Amino acid sequence: MSLFKKKPSFEGGGLVLFMDVHDAMAAEKVLKESEYTVKLVAPPPELRKGCDLALEINLVEQPGIERLLQEKEAGYVSVLPMKPGTSGLLEIVKVTDFGDWTMVKAANMKLSFDKKSGIIVNTSGGGCPDIPYLHAEMIGKKLDKAPRPRDLGFTLCALMLDRALEESLALWQGGKKI
Amino acid sequence: MMLIAGTLPLKGLPLTIGAASAEGDYLVVNHQRIPCTQGTAAMITAALTTTEYLKIEAPQALVVGDTGQGKGSREMYEYLIQNVAKLSPEVLALHYCLPDMALTRRLCEAVKSCSKRPLMIADAASMYAAKAAGLATSFDIFTPDATEMAFLADPDATHPAYIARHLFDTDVTQTPKLVAAAYAKKNAAKLLLVKGATDYVVRNGEILATISEPDVPTLEPIGGTGDTITGMLSAFVYAGLEPHEATIVAARANRMAGKLANATPATKVRQIISQFPAVFQQYLCQWSEVCYKP
Repeated sequence: MSLFKKKPSFEGGGLVLFMDVHDAMAAEKVLKESEYTVKLVAPPPELRKGCDLALEINLVEQPGIERLLQEKEAGYVSVLPMKPGTSGLLEIVKVTDFGDWTMVKAANMKLSFDKKSGIIVNTSGGGCPDIPYLHAEMIGKKLDKAPRPRDLGFTLCALMLDRALEESLALWQGGKKI
Repeated sequence: MMLIAGTLPLKGLPLTIGAASAEGDYLVVNHQRIPCTQGTAAMITAALTTTEYLKIEAPQALVVGDTGQGKGSREMYEYLIQNVAKLSPEVLALHYCLPDMALTRRLCEAVKSCSKRPLMIADAASMYAAKAAGLATSFDIFTPDATEMAFLADPDATHPAYIARHLFDTDVTQTPKLVAAAYAKKNAAKLLLVKGATDYVVRNGEILATISEPDVPTLEPIGGTGDTITGMLSAFVYAGLEPHEATIVAARANRMAGKLANATPATKVRQIISQFPAVFQQYLCQWSEVCYKP
């Protein structure tokens, strides 16, 4: 017998919580059919909100997973980081004025737009594979016509880029009214 | 061999490995034409531009299509796990991917089978995965920006979207505190290049250098200008510069290229990269004390 504890084959860092076991099983089926790696686990007592079964997920995939569960009408309570001390999702943004352009930063993601036209001129930051894809899809489009990262993306980087887009849109539309 | 691995936003691009080359505005890897945009493509193009200038072997690139669902990322990790010992690169630079802690752990184990341990560089989500899995000290160089530095300093966050608000609120003068916090919890690579208004080069917790000139704040909004630094420093390390020297030269060169390009927030990363040969020609000898004759 090995004296060493074997590292788990899946380390997701995120938990989907459910009200009952049936929902957890149904969600597992939905996610596995879409090739997400997930694992049924018992949530730690301090995080438990409904039943004693949860799904461990790769936390970075939270937005794509939540979108899929909603599309399939699979009931869940919430998605949380597994580490109890983790902060909530960042809600604040930072705005930088570059003269003719404005840059909005949400966590690790930045979006820059032309103040007059509302055209997205650049996105930067991040590290997940949907970010270069969204970069290509969004640049050159007006803020109010651009695809939403929350609809096209799958990762937390995309969710933060969506926050930056939302704030940019509010700034630009507010500016137009002046 | 210098091996750069990362995903590309090209649907249907199969796992592809080969020496990188340039064809006009495109990057070419094993007959696949790849546009030079933000992400792995910008990093490889920057590394290739540097190796071409230095007249050394071009980077080997391991790339795969992935637009966020992770299938390509997992194929890339599995390929590396199975083949890294056989490839035994001198420099292994990991870049865009869906961060996966368990696969990163297996890759770090597989690297131990290389005939000589490669110099390990991680940027983008490869850095996120290394930190989240508690494997940061297995890497030689990380290249975080200010928010990613806050992520390394937050012991609980597994992604920058979940960092504590007070860490996100810090300005560049707080970087030394964030650096100290990251090293205290073993959440930093041996060498850090923290990119920002002032770039910090840090080795094992000690700040070796800061770079703030030329000051080109318009580089920050341009997608891919962090990727270019990582690409350049990978090439400089492969060329024989000490890791800290490579990071200093890369940070300076990126700033100077931004200045020469008259960068605005609307500038594209390939316009920055196109300035690298002129920057190298004018400054590399002075900065690196190693003078190449192109």
